[in-house]
Amino acid sequence: MLNIQTKQEGNASVLSVKGKINFEVTAQLRGAIKDLIAAQQPNLLVINLEGTSFIDSSGLGLLVAARSSADKNGSRLHICCISPQVKKVFDQTNLTNYFSIFATEQDALRV
Amino acid sequence: MSHTTKGLVLIADAESSIRDFLHFYLKRAGYQVLQAGDGHDVLIEMAKVQPDLVLADLSLPGIRGDHLCKIIKKNPDTRDMYIILMTPTNDMLDNETTIEALNIGADDTIIKPLRGQELIARVDSAFRIIRMQKEIKQHNRELTVYRENVQRDIELAARLQLSLLPEAGAVGPYRYTHIYKPVGGIGGDIYAISPLPYGGVGVLIADVSGHGVTASLISTMVKTSFENHIRTRGGPLIWAQCMNRDLARNTLEEQYATAFIAQLDPMTSTISYVCAGHEPAIYIADGQSGEPRHPAILNNASSPLGMDENMSFSERTTPFAPGDRLILYTDGLVEAESNSNTILSSEGLLRFCSEMPSELEDAAALIFDQTQLFIDPNKFTDDVTLVVIDHL
Repeated sequence: MLNIQTKQEGNASVLSVKGKINFEVTAQLRGAIKDLIAAQQPNLLVINLEGTSFIDSSGLGLLVAARSSADKNGSRLHICCISPQVKKVFDQTNLTNYFSIFATEQDALRV
Repeated sequence: MSHTTKGLVLIADAESSIRDFLHFYLKRAGYQVLQAGDGHDVLIEMAKVQPDLVLADLSLPGIRGDHLCKIIKKNPDTRDMYIILMTPTNDMLDNETTIEALNIGADDTIIKPLRGQELIARVDSAFRIIRMQKEIKQHNRELTVYRENVQRDIELAARLQLSLLPEAGAVGPYRYTHIYKPVGGIGGDIYAISPLPYGGVGVLIADVSGHGVTASLISTMVKTSFENHIRTRGGPLIWAQCMNRDLARNTLEEQYATAFIAQLDPMTSTISYVCAGHEPAIYIADGQSGEPRHPAILNNASSPLGMDENMSFSERTTPFAPGDRLILYTDGLVEAESNSNTILSSEGLLRFCSEMPSELEDAAALIFDQTQLFIDPNKFTDDVTLVVIDHL
């Protein structure tokens, strides 16, 4: 199970994820993102991956779908605080530029 | 259970007046009733028709009620039968016997002298449990049949998927072999190696996001798309673009594939490739020598296939000459995790590849065995496909 925390910062919602994101937990993460969007309808969703050491193909697919869904709804998805291991996966899949990735949560909220 | 009554009750008591009393109340409450005067008669009646509930006196002659209970509960055909033991009084001795009777499997006890209302309340309560048990049993039977059907389907699909993989062999000047280990019978890994109608060989290894039946279906789509597009000239870049479009249009959100798509050209002794979000391939110059070598990584970090129709890809060409070896694999291999939570990683795999046997099959076995040793006693948690190609 992932440890997922959420908070509001003005019109932005922040979802912080701790744990390994793999096939077994994507349903939990998907549900948390959907619930947060339904409840807050944020202009900006920040996913903080500071506590995430691993992401597999299922997790990547979920993030891509979340970004695509944000595009359709006229909102934005920012990702922040990715570990070197997760960055490696983003680099390998050429998704580093597909997502808006920030070094800190403050930066992700500010832009 | 009869359709016209609430259920079938077998009364077992030596005293005919008690049997008649019980018979009267139970029949009035809508139950069908059988009677037996001793334990042997109970077994004789049960051999003719199986009651839903046995209401037996603890001191039944022939076979005592508690012994009868033991016999009924030991027999697989009758062990689910509901038994209420009637105890004569509530003194200490009988109380202990009652506890023992419950321990050996009686479902309830009722104390004599019996009161009609209490009797019916107990029997009605017992039948609510009996009905629930019958429903659970029926659901279990249905689930078992369903599970067996699904299992059979998955086994058939697994056999079909296995038949889609190329058999180890040779195409042109290239020899190849593979090790394929799906988790749970079927998986999202696929690979293909095909001679091209205009010269050279097309190679694909792909890994679909997720697991199971859906991933397996998409992996078949990936292979079909690859085989369609390599018929036309163009090379890996065009093939990747076309396959990306096919997948983006025909899969749902969150479904995509990583792939290493390559064209081997024996005329120029080169490999052209697109690494679409996939694990990089490993190239070993003079890798069939059996001597220590420096493996190199073939990577150009393009996007996975099917995420977005507008993703861009890039192609790279490097040498792949006679004597060289190429190793392709899916992430299930390098993301395999040891007991100390360390993943093998591509660096770990490179170490295994730095000194390989000259024989193709031995090389594949070495990598797989070393990885298994690395994760022991853990098991692979993701599909693993490993392909080794030698340029002869």
